[in-house]
Order: sequence, then C-alpha cells, then structure tokens
Amino acid sequence: MELRKRMIKRTIGGETFLVPVGRAVYESNGLYFLTEVGAFIWDLLPQARDEEELLAAVLESYEVEEDIARADISEFLGKLKEMAIL
Amino acid sequence: MSGLQTEPRMSAYLHARGAQMGFPVGGNFELTPRCNFSCPMCYVHKKDAHVEGELTAQQWISLAEQARDAGMLFALLTGGEPLVRKDFFQIYGAMKEMGLMVSLNSNGSLLSGKIRDKLLEDPPFRVNVSLYGGSEETYASMCGQPSFHDVVENVRALKEAGVDVRLNVSITPYNLADLGDIFRISRELGVHAKATAYMYPPIRLDGDRSHRLSPEEAAQAMVDWDLLRFEPEEFARRARAMKSCEAVEQRECAADLHEGVQCRAGSTSFWLCWDGRMLPCGMMPGPGTRPLEQGFQAAWQGLRDLTRQIRTPDKCASCPSRPVCCSCAAVCVTETGKTDGVPEYVCRMTSQQIARAWRAYEERSL
Repeated sequence: MELRKRMIKRTIGGETFLVPVGRAVYESNGLYFLTEVGAFIWDLLPQARDEEELLAAVLESYEVEEDIARADISEFLGKLKEMAIL
Repeated sequence: MSGLQTEPRMSAYLHARGAQMGFPVGGNFELTPRCNFSCPMCYVHKKDAHVEGELTAQQWISLAEQARDAGMLFALLTGGEPLVRKDFFQIYGAMKEMGLMVSLNSNGSLLSGKIRDKLLEDPPFRVNVSLYGGSEETYASMCGQPSFHDVVENVRALKEAGVDVRLNVSITPYNLADLGDIFRISRELGVHAKATAYMYPPIRLDGDRSHRLSPEEAAQAMVDWDLLRFEPEEFARRARAMKSCEAVEQRECAADLHEGVQCRAGSTSFWLCWDGRMLPCGMMPGPGTRPLEQGFQAAWQGLRDLTRQIRTPDKCASCPSRPVCCSCAAVCVTETGKTDGVPEYVCRMTSQQIARAWRAYEERSL
C-alpha cells in the first residue's frame, strides 16, 4: 500500500509517534500518536498489498476476534486516508 | 485496538515522561558563535569567518544521533546565526532524517533565495525570527546592518509558504521607540510576536550591561507592549492579577516554586554550545559537561546531576511577587555571578511592572 506522505516512526518513553518529513510538514506539522497495534500495522503498510494481508498479520500476532480486527484496521486506514497519508 | 491520533499536548506529556524517566526530550544546538549581525546585547556574535573550536558538521550530526537514541524528539538549531554555516543543510537534513522535530532560530536576514528554497523543500517544525526594529535605521544602529526590509519580506515569504513562523522581540534602548511599529508589523504579517525587555547580562561574552534598559524602563516597555497587544478587558484582568501577585500567563517553566531550576533545563532539555560544552541553558556559563569526550549519555546524566544541585535564592522562593517574576537560576547567575544570588535588577523590574500596569489600568478606568 502506497504512502503519500513521508513519516518517520519514533518510539520515545514507551510511546510511538509519526514525525512528518519533507513536504508532509505543511499539511501535518505535528505528531501522530500510534497505539501498539497501529505501530505494528504501520510497519507492514509499505509491503502490504491490501487490507486482507494486514488482517492476516494482525490475527497471527494478536489474540483478537477477526471482526474486531477487521473493523479496527479499517478505521486505522480510514484515518490515514483522511489525513492523506495513505 | 489500533489507532492514530494527533495530540497537541504531546510535548508537555513527553517532557513529564522524560523528567520521570530521565531522558532528554529537547535539545538546543548552538551550531556557531558566528553571526552576520552584531547586536550589542547578544552573548554570542563573533564576526570571524572561522572560529577555532567550532564543531564540524559531522560532530553535530553524531551528537544529534546520540541524543536521538537517548530519546530526544525536539531540536532547536540556533547560534549565532545558524545559516552562516556553509554546511547548515548537511546538519539540518541529517537531523530531519533522524525523525527529529527541528526548529530554527534565525535573525531572518539570510532566509531568502536558495537558502529559503532549500528550507521549504523540507520545512522546519517552526522558525523563530528575531525582529529587532521597525526601520532600516534601527537595524543599522542595533544590528550593524540595515536589514529591516529583507527580514520582514523573508518572514512574509515563509509565512505565505505555510511555515510556522514566530517573532521574538528583544526590547533594548536601540529599538524602544519602535515598539508600536514592531507590533503593527507582526499584526500585518499575521505572525505571533513574543517580546521581552529583560536582557540577560551577556556573561558568556563580556558581561556588558550598558546595552539594556534600566529596570524601570524595561518595566514600562513591558506595560506598553501589553497595552498594544491586549484589549482593555484583558489588560485590566492582567493588571488586577499582577496586583494580587497571581500568575498572568502560563509559564512553561514554573511547575512549582521551589528552590532550584524550575524549568526543563537540565531536566528534559540541554544546550550544546558551539564549542561542544553541554549546559542546562544557553544563558548560563555552567555547570557543564563534555559530550564529545564523555559520550552523550554520560554527559547528559552528568548534566542532570549538576542541575539538581543548583539552588536559587530563598528570598525568591518566598517572595510574594514570584508568580509574576521572570527570575530563574540563569537570571540569578548572570546578574549576580551565583545561582543563589538575589537579582536586584529583576526585583526592581517586577515591582515596577506591577505598579505601572496598575497605574495604566487606573488611568484607563476613569
């Protein structure tokens, strides 16, 4: 899945953030906080072809109901799209 | 389960976390003592083309990497004028690629042409420009260069490009008469201006105090600035609060008014001088550590230990005016030579500011 903005992931004091780089700073001049699973999905995004791949990876790594995982992934990707990151 | 959110208070949260866990959240990188301006009240403005002991780009990048690994998120590039370095973008670009939120302090005169174009390709988190006056004449007398027009146009261009720009205004005898113009320009530009008439004695340079206002003049300048920037109701609220010795604005530093360093200096932030010394704050001559020799982590921990030992005056901790006073360890040491010396200049400035704000309020209430 193609990322439209350059973001660098940082983990500081146990918290994970995305820091915008390059022209992304103009639209997103701030920090984005990621939950643990959000950070997990973020790392998979460049290689993932679609949501199904992300879902399979989440189900393999986390004990979570498929419906819940699917809804959460969809919500997370929706937010990324809202912010024109994805 | 998963999530992503922006958090405007994340900086405060991270600093609280850093203080608890002992990691640096913010770092100030004084990239050079050189400056194309020569403002007399400034503590670091060498004119030489080359200064012995100035760190190389690679040294700055290495220190920034170590600081990043220790937890640093925010980095402020300052000077001198950082943009006089020919290798500025080598350092800046490397720090951006580290995932740092990089801000820039500048006098604004060089933020044009290729430098601006390059900066706009990957803009800083924020640019703080010092606005020294409202005319070419003031700039010539205070900074040694008639750069007023250039600075204003450069700020305008950055703002129009979408960069977060702030103005810092140092009120001195050289530009006191320009206060109204400075305020008007900041409004026209749509850029927030933060002014102060308190000038630290530049003890890292020569300690000459003749280039600042008297405490009474400085107090009046702050009242005049408040009259310019606030509506009458807000000015009245602040005057009443000051009269009651209540804090009039949220201070980044004063978590509580104990004896010691009250801000983030040496707790979650550090200042790296142009020659590689690490200080809690750039205004202070010490205590300091040497990260190039000790390694960043050891220098940082050493700095935290040294900072914890700093004591400020008992008299300040129990002073009723404390909530409205700008005194701190850096003020004390620059004014008196010791961190627990009472800074009489600031005592006079604060009491005068309270009295003069009240007088201005009463005059306008009639």
